[in-house]
Amino acid sequence: MIAVKRITTFLATLRWGDWSLISLYVSLISGVVVGIHYSPAEPYYSASALDILVPYGSFFRSLHFYSSQFFFLFGVAHFLAVFNKSQSYSSKAYIYLIICFPCILMLLFTGYVLRADATGYSAGMIAEHILEAIPLFGPALNNILFSISTHGMDRVYLHHVISFDLLFLFLAWDHLRRYRVMLTDHLLFISLLLLFSLLVAAPIDPDQLGLLYITGPWFFLGLQELLRYLSPFVAGVLVPASLVTALVFLRQNHRWYRALLIFLCCWLGCYLILTMLALTAHG
Amino acid sequence: MNSPSPTPTRSFRRKLLFLGGLLLLWPLLRFLIHKVPKKPQIIEVSGTFQNKIFLAKQDFIVFQEDEQLWAVSRNCTHLGCRLNYIEKEKYLECPCHQSRFSRQGEVIRGPAAKPLPRYLVERTDTPSTYLVTMS
Ligand code: FES
Repeated sequence: MIAVKRITTFLATLRWGDWSLISLYVSLISGVVVGIHYSPAEPYYSASALDILVPYGSFFRSLHFYSSQFFFLFGVAHFLAVFNKSQSYSSKAYIYLIICFPCILMLLFTGYVLRADATGYSAGMIAEHILEAIPLFGPALNNILFSISTHGMDRVYLHHVISFDLLFLFLAWDHLRRYRVMLTDHLLFISLLLLFSLLVAAPIDPDQLGLLYITGPWFFLGLQELLRYLSPFVAGVLVPASLVTALVFLRQNHRWYRALLIFLCCWLGCYLILTMLALTAHG
Repeated sequence: MNSPSPTPTRSFRRKLLFLGGLLLLWPLLRFLIHKVPKKPQIIEVSGTFQNKIFLAKQDFIVFQEDEQLWAVSRNCTHLGCRLNYIEKEKYLECPCHQSRFSRQGEVIRGPAAKPLPRYLVERTDTPSTYLVTMS
């Protein structure tokens, strides 16, 4: 018990927030670099050309991919580590920061889709169908956000490089203004990030007919599995929305605090099980 | 200093403007959600049939059997992933949730519920070249 407590205390002292922000800087810069050779009109060709034809293209693509993933993961760790402190924030500030998470996930997701390999393409089509399933506004929303089947990657590209970034900056602006991070204080972390990207290639599916089992981006796996059993609107909209709503109301002085906490644990537990199922049950 | 309270005419106009805006919402929504049906597209494809049975293209697969030709869409009717033809089993399968369809496009296994769209295929004067009408 003491050991667990010590580990948790130790984890809470780590500088997750700093690392998340540094990863964001690297992700933004490497995103611009990668964007030079990426074309939404030839998404798969340009993405794979980065790996095969462009000098150091594979490194920069990896750097963009992993820095973005670390940005999200360290962001989540940061949220957990400073959760108690976040309770002193005003409701508005807290809600803005919570909404940052789905916004970052959309940035990661559109990044996967833009690759346009079998995984990316399927994830995009599934997202399109989920949006279409929203009563009344669905088709309009899809027309604005994805509509890959009619507009190719145009919309997805636009939102990946501009809209979701602006939304994130708007939501996190106050927070980022308050906590500054100097690159010079994190040279070791940056070096590790560079080294990691040099050694580990970012995933991309080979261009072959007949990929028989597509799993999708790692954070999408549980949802992908749930879509087998439930309608797209329930699995793709209501279930994820319930998580965000529960997070939004998760304030220690809220009378449902404990109930919400239990709900969140169950939600995440079920999602983990669904993810495992997606990875093992149908391959 | 307090701003002067709006005159009755002005507040009436504001209400009118608000109501007008509200009335416009419906046509706007209908406009936004309307999908213009796709123009039928005639696509020329060429290539040799694998094992004299199927010719897979990005958006559809052409089949031939007893001199008959037809094509089925490769977009899964569940959530749109691209289907593969499993030659050994003679069905199309979706890589996302493993729905299965017959070569005629009927659902063999869910979660997909709707059959695949079927397209007309015609031979052309050039050997191994076909016209597929996607509607
Ligand atoms: S998208 Fe084909 S089975 Fe779900």
